[in-house]
Amino acid sequence: MTFVNPLLLAGAGLVVVPVVLHLVMRRRPRLVEFPALRFVRLRHDTNQRQLRLRHLLLLLLRMLAIVLAALALARPSLRFSAGPIGSQRAPVAAAMVFDTSPRMEYRHENRTRLEAAQELALWVLAQLPPDSRVAVLDSRRGPAAFQVDLGAARHRVERLETTADAQPMPQVLAEAARLVAGSELARKEIYVFTDLARAAWPLEGAIRLQERLREAPDAGLYLIDVGVTQPANLALGELRLSGQIVSNRSTLRIETELTSIGKGDKHTVELYLLEPDPAGRIPGARKPEKRGEQTVAVTPGQSRVMEFRVSNLGVGTHQGYVQILGQDGLAADDRRYFTVEVKPAWRILIAAPRPENAYAVFLREALAPESFRRSGLARFACDVAPLEELRQKDLQPYAAVCLLDPKPLEPAVWQKLADYVAEGHGLAVWLGRNAEPVKSFNEKPAQDVLAGRLVRQARSPEGSLALAPRNLEHPALAAFRGVAGAVPWSRHPVYRYWQLEALPEGAHVIAPFTDEAPALVERPLGKGRAITMTTPVSDDPNRDPWNLLPVGEAWPFVILANEMMAYLVGSGSEELNYRAGQTASLELAADRMAPSYLLTSPDGSQARVAPDMKQRRLVITSTEQPGNYRVQAGGPADGVDRGFSVNLSAEQTRLERWSDKDLAQFFGTYPYRLARSKDQIELNVHTGRVGRELFGLLIVAAAVVLGLEHVLANRFYRKG
Amino acid sequence: MSTVEKYLKPEVIRQIKRLDLRAQFIVKGFLHGLHASPFHGFSVEFSEHRKYTPGDDPKDIDWLIYAKTDKYYVKKYEAETNITGYLAMDVSRSMGYTHRQDMTKFDYTICLAAALCYLMISQQDPVGLLVFDEKIRKSLPPKSRRGQLATVLSVLANLKPAGKTDVAASLSQIAAMLRHASLVMIFSDLLAEPEPIFQALHRLRHRGHDVILFHVLDEAEARFPFEGMVELEEPESGERLTLDADNFRRDYLAEIEAFREAYRRECFQSGIDYVPLDTSMQFDKALAGYLAGRKARY
Repeated sequence: MTFVNPLLLAGAGLVVVPVVLHLVMRRRPRLVEFPALRFVRLRHDTNQRQLRLRHLLLLLLRMLAIVLAALALARPSLRFSAGPIGSQRAPVAAAMVFDTSPRMEYRHENRTRLEAAQELALWVLAQLPPDSRVAVLDSRRGPAAFQVDLGAARHRVERLETTADAQPMPQVLAEAARLVAGSELARKEIYVFTDLARAAWPLEGAIRLQERLREAPDAGLYLIDVGVTQPANLALGELRLSGQIVSNRSTLRIETELTSIGKGDKHTVELYLLEPDPAGRIPGARKPEKRGEQTVAVTPGQSRVMEFRVSNLGVGTHQGYVQILGQDGLAADDRRYFTVEVKPAWRILIAAPRPENAYAVFLREALAPESFRRSGLARFACDVAPLEELRQKDLQPYAAVCLLDPKPLEPAVWQKLADYVAEGHGLAVWLGRNAEPVKSFNEKPAQDVLAGRLVRQARSPEGSLALAPRNLEHPALAAFRGVAGAVPWSRHPVYRYWQLEALPEGAHVIAPFTDEAPALVERPLGKGRAITMTTPVSDDPNRDPWNLLPVGEAWPFVILANEMMAYLVGSGSEELNYRAGQTASLELAADRMAPSYLLTSPDGSQARVAPDMKQRRLVITSTEQPGNYRVQAGGPADGVDRGFSVNLSAEQTRLERWSDKDLAQFFGTYPYRLARSKDQIELNVHTGRVGRELFGLLIVAAAVVLGLEHVLANRFYRKG
Repeated sequence: MSTVEKYLKPEVIRQIKRLDLRAQFIVKGFLHGLHASPFHGFSVEFSEHRKYTPGDDPKDIDWLIYAKTDKYYVKKYEAETNITGYLAMDVSRSMGYTHRQDMTKFDYTICLAAALCYLMISQQDPVGLLVFDEKIRKSLPPKSRRGQLATVLSVLANLKPAGKTDVAASLSQIAAMLRHASLVMIFSDLLAEPEPIFQALHRLRHRGHDVILFHVLDEAEARFPFEGMVELEEPESGERLTLDADNFRRDYLAEIEAFREAYRRECFQSGIDYVPLDTSMQFDKALAGYLAGRKARY
């Protein structure tokens, strides 16, 4: 509360007057002779108490009237910010905070939300007193500073555009509060132009924001809502690919969902692949070619999952997009981009004791079923060799090696395998009955590869033990995520397994058995990985098997084997699809490194990017623009032609809003004002700067108190 | 102006002369056939004969008629007897009180007494006067001659209410003093502890007296017309109390009403006529009203 005439507050000291009058000028009661005093005496005490109370009440009323009058004359005003009061024309330190996330592109009444915000902001700028200092902040990352003058601020507001890599608003607002708090100007104001979307105002930022706002306790905070209360929009969810690196023989599955807000009816979603355009003017130009279309009916508030399948993709990098046909309020979430790399079928070497084919039959059929092999659709190309041949075998053509129920191997073979893995390949070891004598497996060469010391064979003849993968975070278990809990592991009991101990550093259990003993253990070695499974998949089910994993409806085993191999050969290890603002990183083949690469952005602009020769990686940080990026080097024939995609996170384009009431949780006790129109802004800002004058209210209160006093006094002291 | 004219105006006489004041016990005796007139056979007027029925007093049998007709007849008498009335006047200090400075309670009671005195004398009944405060101060023997009214009034007119009061003691003294059953008319503001007064009244009744209690309050005492802060002083004891009259009025009136109610109830139970009055009431009308009511009852 502030006062225009604080000196007049001293008038409140006059409250002593009624007290003095009460004490000194006590009215003498009239003396009346009255014989019937005995009747009076009976009730006199109660009456006296009431009398005293009334006196006190009157006295208080009189004192209150004086205090109210003194307060009113001092002209107090109530301000929602605690800043100093002053002329409306005193310069202001103002921060204008704009939400510039892609959501602000939402078009309503032929204006995007950002345009609406800009218009209001320019109007606010015109209202600011001259010599005010203005900072314009948007959702982009980076430091904030005051503009040179109002003209520069105006220019900055006019040039605002959306950014795909938008920070949450509480963060930007906190930065604005820090900036304004540091200003030497006495009056501070923060204008926030936002659509109040939940995505822009995550609750996690609330506490930090309140802390920051406390640093600028005297700043007026004005929230200017430019959002649409009932938006209508169709949105595509994020794309889920069956893999980012797939075999040329497999089918690419692309899954997404169509979500509708306030807009029903049937809608068509199309899948486009970018194919080389021989007629294009630029060499290597590509044109979109429609490869799929689905029409679904969605009701408002509902989302429908849709799946596209693409097969027969040639080896190389393929890019494309999924889009909603037609236009809606927000275009940013109508198209999602993707990149996949198609590689030839991975060669796998399966090494097993003799008869090796009998040992390898389950794994081979799981990885490359006979029918697929014949039709050339198998994802993996499996070679089977006896363990003895490992020593001579050239392992380089193989993407991964599998050891099925190995016997003790020569140290040189273990060493060879260790080197092979360290180069960046995969190794899978299924331990079984042949791992005797166990001593040889616990010696150094074998232990350099295996995921722990073999202790003993654990038995569970009653068949109650089974695999029990719980945490499905590991990529090798990713395929089970959708059916977690429904996988019938218990129908495939494990009777025996090798107990491991002293897991080496870096090794971790991918999946345990039901008794918590390790079943699948991964151990990174150099650039590659080795996975050890403590029970084999090569036992004849009719002859005292260690487990029944590959028996019966063995789909869990088939999936596990496939995903394990896919993980070991490196499919899925490379990220080709990024979110806007993330740093993209492409692994480069050692033999085809170029000194620089040409990066083509979605808008067609090109830039040269130098690779990190040491890491053999190409790192691209400017990924703000959603779309397909292309990285090229060398000629079209033997050069490098790769790419990656950048998408907005689906969260960023969600239009659900916070209600006015919910906003309080962001600001706590910090006073803020919400406005939607120029009038509201004007009123709020005026109240914020000058405060709400309480003169009228106090005068009315004083009059009421005086009136009350008069009525009571008349009632008490009516003249006889 | 003579004292009679001062206290007994012609219009008052007009109001009351049609009425009479009868003693209730005499009437009672007639109804039950138990004549207990203090002046037996003195002023009993024969009215008619009635056939003797068992239970009648044989001494009422008219032997003359028996001699003539050989039948028993009893004589019936009109109850017309002399009753002695006593005007018992409270002359304590509080009786001299008047709020409006118009008519003190004492003046008011004199007027009442004058009217009653007139009435009784005009009925040929003797009237006496007893004046008391803490005890009986003055008395006039009952007489029924015309001059008695002037005598009574001149005595009263020369009295000035002063001193404290002890109604109970005075009434007990009166009860002891009166030898014959009489009509005792008490005029007082009764501003004293009620319990002893009740006992004294019972004593009077027990001695066979017919008692009429005229409870006279000042208008201010009955209505409590004060406003604002007042300091009240009791004239007899000098005790003072300061209070807010407006606030207190309701409480006071409730107290007064309770006080009168206590007397009303007590008197009803003892067969005493209780007549609450205050100086704002026109006493002739009040008296006429009371007498008319009494006549209807007996």
